[in-house]
Amino acid sequence: MASLSLQGIQKIYPNGFHAVKDFNLEIEDKEFIIFVGPSGCGKSTTLRMVAGLEDISGGTLKIDGKVMNDVEPKDRDIAMVFQNYALYPHMTVYDNMAFGLKLRKVPKAEIDKKVREAARILDLEKLLDRKPKALSGGQRQRVAMGRAIVRNPKVFLMDEPLSNLDAKLRVQMRIEISKLHENLGATIIYVTHDQTEAMTLGTRIVVMKDGVVQQVDTPQNLYNTPCNLFVAGFIGSPQMNFMDAVCKVNGQDVTLTVGDHVLKVPASKKKALIDGGYDGKTVVLGIRPEDVHDSEAFISNSPDSVITSTIKVYELLGAEVFLYFDVEGTQMTARVNPRTTLRTGDKAVFALDMEKIHVFDKETELTITN
Amino acid sequence: MDYTPELEKALNELKRITGITLEARADTPEEAEQALSQIRCLCAAYKEKYNREDFLKSLMTDGIPAYDVNERAARLHIAPEEKRILFLLEAKTADDTFMEILRNLFPSRSRTYIVPVGGGSVAVLRPVKSGENTQSVKHTARTIIDTLNMEALAHVQLSYSAVMDSLADLAAAYRETSLALKVGKLFYSEQTVFPYNELGIGRLIYQLPVSLCESFLKEIFGDDIPESFDDETTAAVNKFFQNNLNIAETSRQLHMHRNTLIYRLEQIQKRTGLDLRLFEDAMTFKIATMVINYLHTERNR
Repeated sequence: MASLSLQGIQKIYPNGFHAVKDFNLEIEDKEFIIFVGPSGCGKSTTLRMVAGLEDISGGTLKIDGKVMNDVEPKDRDIAMVFQNYALYPHMTVYDNMAFGLKLRKVPKAEIDKKVREAARILDLEKLLDRKPKALSGGQRQRVAMGRAIVRNPKVFLMDEPLSNLDAKLRVQMRIEISKLHENLGATIIYVTHDQTEAMTLGTRIVVMKDGVVQQVDTPQNLYNTPCNLFVAGFIGSPQMNFMDAVCKVNGQDVTLTVGDHVLKVPASKKKALIDGGYDGKTVVLGIRPEDVHDSEAFISNSPDSVITSTIKVYELLGAEVFLYFDVEGTQMTARVNPRTTLRTGDKAVFALDMEKIHVFDKETELTITN
Repeated sequence: MDYTPELEKALNELKRITGITLEARADTPEEAEQALSQIRCLCAAYKEKYNREDFLKSLMTDGIPAYDVNERAARLHIAPEEKRILFLLEAKTADDTFMEILRNLFPSRSRTYIVPVGGGSVAVLRPVKSGENTQSVKHTARTIIDTLNMEALAHVQLSYSAVMDSLADLAAAYRETSLALKVGKLFYSEQTVFPYNELGIGRLIYQLPVSLCESFLKEIFGDDIPESFDDETTAAVNKFFQNNLNIAETSRQLHMHRNTLIYRLEQIQKRTGLDLRLFEDAMTFKIATMVINYLHTERNR
């Protein structure tokens, strides 16, 4: 397997479209790294540059310390799995997996060994004689993975490989891919627009927007300490609640005012606001839905972080309830215990866990408190 | 007189494609030349008559008169009247691996025809399946691209035609897909699939003569026609257009103070006389930048 180094990578298309801007990343051997971001953010383009399917307009790509910018894709020792994979309809699973090796004129015995080994890893041994028509969606996807595995590449590149599967199968395949990473000990770069997929699969995640890397971090750190408003909003489902708030500094006390609600900022967060000179300025207050509490015990212990509103929608999901309400014209979501007595139309009191708030600069959208 | 290497090659080719072994007698170089020419004509005629690929290639390039299409198609067991779509693929090289993948992706050789059309271009003529719609055709196009990316590790771009009812429409479909590929590569180079009906304003600009484009640019920019704008300005303008000329939303998305954005727009106005906050000027600027890119590519070609 291999390590990768992307230094100042740029992609400018002939029509002037600047798809990737100054992309810097070091990928360790055996790492499972995810590129995530909305459609058009440059994640697939970056992957395709690693593969050699797109020319690199600027910067340096190294695989195992060797510069790869001008190396032909077939000489980069990579294998890809893309979204719209097709199995050859007239071939058996065995032949589908062996096809790429046959094209490369690999000896028969070696092909057989590699195909059977990949089939064992993917639990396809009993299906080797079947045609694609006789396979389920998940099995077909495993065959597509098998075609990449038999090549025994240094790096696996996967571009939204699960996007064409239904939700249930996606969850199942996520587990399979995770297991595959463990079994193969492979370096994997995986592109997705689905933040849940990113959070559950990756050891590190690269969040991209408009061709620019926003943050590179572990799933936990991205969730707990997002570096800007975009990352905070993109990672997490339901997404983080955001409200405009006016910061007021009074000696060592700092408050955030949202309409009629005055929220006291805890010691762990207020230093950054005082030092940053935010007194009197409007900032963006962010809080995750699970940090908005409706329990009486929490509310009575947090008199300085209480907000009131009317429940607009009550949504029971079984293990949890989502409550939707407005605060000063901004829609908010609370993720609460299903035993809550609150229902649509009820006047509700919530308390925010102020230790968990995120505060962002309104102009730069960068975090102030993380 | 001994066979020249060319004559020997031509005789071998004739044997390969027809199974016929011919002997040629030539006493002078002129006679040898004449024999070579006749054997080459024989090969070409045979290929044209009995080879589907050559027939379809000739048909695509208007090489077969309309009155002859149905009869020759029938001889090659190609149904003349069938709903079909033409996919035109372009790669650096369409080598054996590339072709082998395509043949296995479309194994039904009696109904789907794969025709190399020179360079790295390959046409795939495929019947329309029942219930197929615009989305599924697009999906097929993406599947071709992704499969070639995965298996051949080749960068491929593809265009496809409208549904045609008969083989007689193939030449028009080929022209349509060729145009889509050219326009797509020029104006939407970040994409890989160019449907015939999604070329937008690029289709119009591509049809304009260079002199007309130059006059248009001169009218807008005078003698100071910009080669291009810097990256930051281009990114800001593109985002501004994407957000329907909304300054607040654009500056928010670009993490830029609104006054900075306004300053940049004013700099463009100073340079070009176009106030991009006005729809008419924004439209003119958008078209002008596309024309600049078009001319730039034309000059580099």
